[in-house]
Amino acid sequence: MNISLRQLFGRKPKSSSIAKQRLKLVITQDRLDVDDRFMTRLHHELAEVLAKYFEFSVNSVSMSLKQEGNSYVLVADIPYKKFHDVNARQ
Amino acid sequence: MGKVIVVTSGKGGVGKTTSTANLGTALALLGKTVVVVDADVGLRNLDIVMGLESRIVYTSMDVIEKQCELSKALVKDRRVDGLTLLAASQKNNKDDIQPEQMKTICDKLRSEHDFVLIDSPAGIERGFSNASAGADEAIVVTTPDVSAIRDADRIIGLLQHAGIEPINLVLNRFSPELVGNGSMMDQEDVLDILNIDLIGIVPEDTGVITSTNRGIPLVYEDASPGSQAYMRIARRLTGQRIPIPDLEQKGLLTNIVNWFRNR
Ligand SMILES: Nc1ncnc2c1ncn2[C@@H]1O[C@H](COP(=O)(O)OP(=O)(O)O)[C@@H](O)[C@H]1O
Ligand SMILES: [Mg+2]
Repeated sequence: MNISLRQLFGRKPKSSSIAKQRLKLVITQDRLDVDDRFMTRLHHELAEVLAKYFEFSVNSVSMSLKQEGNSYVLVADIPYKKFHDVNARQ
Repeated sequence: MGKVIVVTSGKGGVGKTTSTANLGTALALLGKTVVVVDADVGLRNLDIVMGLESRIVYTSMDVIEKQCELSKALVKDRRVDGLTLLAASQKNNKDDIQPEQMKTICDKLRSEHDFVLIDSPAGIERGFSNASAGADEAIVVTTPDVSAIRDADRIIGLLQHAGIEPINLVLNRFSPELVGNGSMMDQEDVLDILNIDLIGIVPEDTGVITSTNRGIPLVYEDASPGSQAYMRIARRLTGQRIPIPDLEQKGLLTNIVNWFRNR
């Protein structure tokens, strides 16, 4: 019953919540005066370090700055395939 | 001593001129003495929106160049007592005026009126710094879409940096229907992002377009929702405490549909 009604009315994420979420990110970066080059550099350098520990695809890394109350948070989403065995290397 | 309030936005076309014309008229209808100032040098519009375009003789440029006295440049609106317009020059550009000169004009106008409303041009450059140079307070106008809100945030940062306070938000072209079906951000979403005080919500109203066609501000039409929204904002500007009505009057069916959609 519930499922058929849901199918009837659709269940896409509301575009207004997507708008809000995207705005929050971009405004945080605007406020911090963060330019794109800064984020790109951070992205590359962080990936370089992380590559020593994880196997992952550089293109799948997403990074953003968020504001939570009065503080800023750097959120990185890095889907990885597996850990490198760091000890075995040494 | 009155207040100088700059009406600004960052993005163009969100309703600054419409809001200046209607709030200026509404304040005069409430018995206040008001001057509305067009700060959009080179792209003046406030005169035509208010229906005063055929009566402009002098502009703020003439006052700055000492071609005429400030009081002589103010065009009296004959439909209501206490309302005048100071037009912008159409043949100059924004760099022909210095922020200091705008400030001098605002200081004089403040001493002789209850409210001085300044219609700011779009953008964050010279036009904006001229428009805000003499302002005590600000009204930021935005529509509930991503680009207008992002630009509003930039402007709010600049106003705060300039020490202009309070900064009040007018949320314009709001559609309860679109909010109801999840395609438009509501006032809480917008306030959560911009973090300033809301002074009013103006609904999408075709009356705005027809009244602009005629050159008669919407606030003369008592029944229209846009007119009532502007009248309430004007009352709030005079210090009256009037709650912001919830424009989201969803019907029962819409509520049920949304409940399933949002699960
Ligand atoms: N609440 C509203 N409902 C419908 N149309 C509106 C509303 N507010 C503004 N408009 C229309 O939007 C356009 C831009 O408004 P305007 O006041 O000139 O914006 P700005 O001065 O910020 O560039 C105009 O055509 C105006 O009639
Ligand atoms: Mg305008």
